[in-house]
Amino acid sequence: MFRKGQTATALLFLAPFLITILVFFFYAFARAIYYSFTDFNLFNDARVIGIKPYLDVLGDSLFQRALANTLVFSILVTVLQTIGSLLMAVALNNKIKGQSFFRSAWYMPSITSSVVITLIFLWLFQRRGVVNYLITQWLTYLPLILTFLGVMALVQVAQVLFERSRRLPAKWFDPALAAMSALIALAVTLGLNVLGVVGARDVQPYDFQYFSDSWLSIGGVRVLSMPLLVVVIMNTFTTIPTLMLFFLAGLQNIPAALYEAADIDGATPAQKLLRVTVPMLRPVTFYVVTISLIGTMQMFDQVAVIGSAAPQETLITLAYYVYTNTFKSGAAPVNMAAAAAIILALIILLMVFLQRRFFVAPEAQ
Amino acid sequence: MTTSTVPSPPARFGSAQEQDRWLARRRWARAGWLYLFMLVMSLFFIGPFLLGTVSSFKDNPNEYPPRLIIPQLTPRYISTAYNLGVQGGADGWNGGLVPGRSVSFDVSVRSPADAPQDPPAASLFPYQPQSLVALARQAQARDYAQLRTVQTGGAGEVRSYRVTVTYPPLTRQQGEVVRAKIGPQVGNDLTALLPGGQRVRVTLDTPEAQQRQFDLSETQLVELVRANGTYYLRGPVIQRTPLQVDVQRGQSIVGSTLPPSDRQNFDRSFAYRNVTPGILGYTFNNYRRAFNETTDPQSGRSLFLRWVSNSFLYALLRVVAAIVFCSLAGYALARLNFPGKGLIFILGVLFVQMVPAQVNLVSNYVLLRDLGLLNLWGLWLQGLVAAGGVFLMKQFFEGMPRELEESASIDGAGPFTTFWRVMLPQAGPALIALAITQFQGAWNDFFWPVVLLRENTNFTLTVGLSSFRQAYGGQGDYGLILAGAVLSAIPVIIVFVIFQRYFVDTGADSAVKG
Repeated sequence: MFRKGQTATALLFLAPFLITILVFFFYAFARAIYYSFTDFNLFNDARVIGIKPYLDVLGDSLFQRALANTLVFSILVTVLQTIGSLLMAVALNNKIKGQSFFRSAWYMPSITSSVVITLIFLWLFQRRGVVNYLITQWLTYLPLILTFLGVMALVQVAQVLFERSRRLPAKWFDPALAAMSALIALAVTLGLNVLGVVGARDVQPYDFQYFSDSWLSIGGVRVLSMPLLVVVIMNTFTTIPTLMLFFLAGLQNIPAALYEAADIDGATPAQKLLRVTVPMLRPVTFYVVTISLIGTMQMFDQVAVIGSAAPQETLITLAYYVYTNTFKSGAAPVNMAAAAAIILALIILLMVFLQRRFFVAPEAQ
Repeated sequence: MTTSTVPSPPARFGSAQEQDRWLARRRWARAGWLYLFMLVMSLFFIGPFLLGTVSSFKDNPNEYPPRLIIPQLTPRYISTAYNLGVQGGADGWNGGLVPGRSVSFDVSVRSPADAPQDPPAASLFPYQPQSLVALARQAQARDYAQLRTVQTGGAGEVRSYRVTVTYPPLTRQQGEVVRAKIGPQVGNDLTALLPGGQRVRVTLDTPEAQQRQFDLSETQLVELVRANGTYYLRGPVIQRTPLQVDVQRGQSIVGSTLPPSDRQNFDRSFAYRNVTPGILGYTFNNYRRAFNETTDPQSGRSLFLRWVSNSFLYALLRVVAAIVFCSLAGYALARLNFPGKGLIFILGVLFVQMVPAQVNLVSNYVLLRDLGLLNLWGLWLQGLVAAGGVFLMKQFFEGMPRELEESASIDGAGPFTTFWRVMLPQAGPALIALAITQFQGAWNDFFWPVVLLRENTNFTLTVGLSSFRQAYGGQGDYGLILAGAVLSAIPVIIVFVIFQRYFVDTGADSAVKG
């Protein structure tokens, strides 16, 4: 192997990379720390004024709102998308025909840009938009849907009891019986509809304003705003497919023998999921939760695109707070933006550290 | 599907054949439910794009209740639109109304015995594009065309009428017809720019033509007649012919050549946004508008087209830089020995990915502003070597056999030759994966472009689209926004369809989405 001059070669190979991160990352990082202790406003000469910017930021009610929004958003989305992507990966892990089609279809939201998805969601969630239309339809046909579900449950129970009376080991969710129940329930519902016993109701068009100043509060404390809830849905929707891929890869590494052993012990599918799949996926879960936390804490695109369409308080996140303070018209409080950015970075690093410290499985290392 | 999950039925349960049937039935049913679930989820994930795409063809994407089956995608109306385009502009694709042509449009009206029996009142109404930027006023069909309504038949209460839109030429001169753009006024003379770039004086030889002298704005497309070396104004080319038909109280419109774009006044006033659409003007109207109505006032060029090319340029630059620099750095970290290697990896690759981009916002903005690089090049420079790409290439090179390098070094190759001639050619799949993730990342990038790009001619498509939102979102011009969104999603979808399996291999990079 080449010994002499290897350090020089390595540095030459690494030069573009090192220069880029030194200038645009480490220098920038250091300068951000420096700015966060000065009175810099983008146009003056910076003068050190101590920790005042941090105190200003922490005292700013908008910052507090941004912090609360970011934390709520991050935790909510991380939980939702971890569970969702795990369940989807388990479903997709079944060896069935057309798997690649489903995989591509499900992967669609992950490849398109967040700007495009935000624009489409803004349109879907208008006052007279598709989402409200679907809710209206749901309310209109609720009697029929409830009839269908009720009849289906009744028929299923009757069938299972009948099978059991014949001493057959039928389970409550037996798929073949459920298919029969669904068909019978469909026929009964259609019949009742034709006879005029149950039918669609007349309801007022549901026109909830999603991008308005409405909040879900717990004990008088505003926790989650409606616009943010829409962004939560949107973000979960876009990231589930990507995270699903990690779980899929993890699932392929679980030895089939474990499931066979569970079968012999008579485990139900739910038990197998909770006792075999979830523990075996701990390293992957750790990774997924980490990148999900890092990603959601920095959420910016959706908020910036929605911008003035929703009241600022309802949507502002730390990343957007940094952006708006840097580019505020007039003299921008860049020092405050820098301080907020440093706080954001500290929170993320702390979260990753805690995650690594307390939740990591030994085999992940 | 694992069949072993189903406990075998008790022995009492008939023959072996019956048992098999019992198991098979359950297996089929389970597969059926699974497919149903997968289809519902597919619909859930594709649904928003599907709805958005279909609605981007509508005149009014905000219509309520929303429909999926729309005239713009119905073969019958597409061919009608083509015919109307041929009648108005001799071109079934672009449509429009040109001098000397007439277009007939049929309307049938139901007039019950106790209602007024008058024919419908037809009129042309003005249409001005509400552009991102102030755009020169376009010539309006209303000022040039004439309307005539005649009854063509009737059966019972329903009568059919034919509205003819005629556009008489402004000159009676005969000769070669040429298309040109109106140029700046010189003194009292109107000038025009021929396609070859030649500027000519336009002669207005009739009172009708003279009347229009001051109405025509610059860049308006016109038809001229060339006779004896003189160019006579035949009339402006009109892009759209918006028609409105009103009926009396008690009457109702029951059919028309094209379905109305808008009904008002308790369904007595029907608006047709364009009766000479052609296919592009009918089905793809919003897409055409995305390009045409975002004109830069200084250069007269389409901003949207500019954003698309900026995005392509930026994505291309990012891909090239990543292939060269990320693989160099990844190779050095994977295979070369030097002091500080571990530190560079932990600080330069892992730490960099963990710290939010917002921390560097101020400094990078100030730095690039001072360098005068608040444009695509600054954007490129700022993210020249992606830490994620270095990580990907390092992982890849670590997995390659060492014998390759050993044999190369026995042959006397230096490290650079080894890298360039031996290792890089082996890295094909990893390089494709890297290129694709970088392309997708650059194409979808939003945070740094929105921070650094300040001139609207420098925007990338994502920034441009979000400025669409700022400009039009309030008024709800979602036709344009959805068309832009669909257009900007097309390249990544194409790349995805072609290189699917590489996406699946390296989802890690795009997972951390802002």
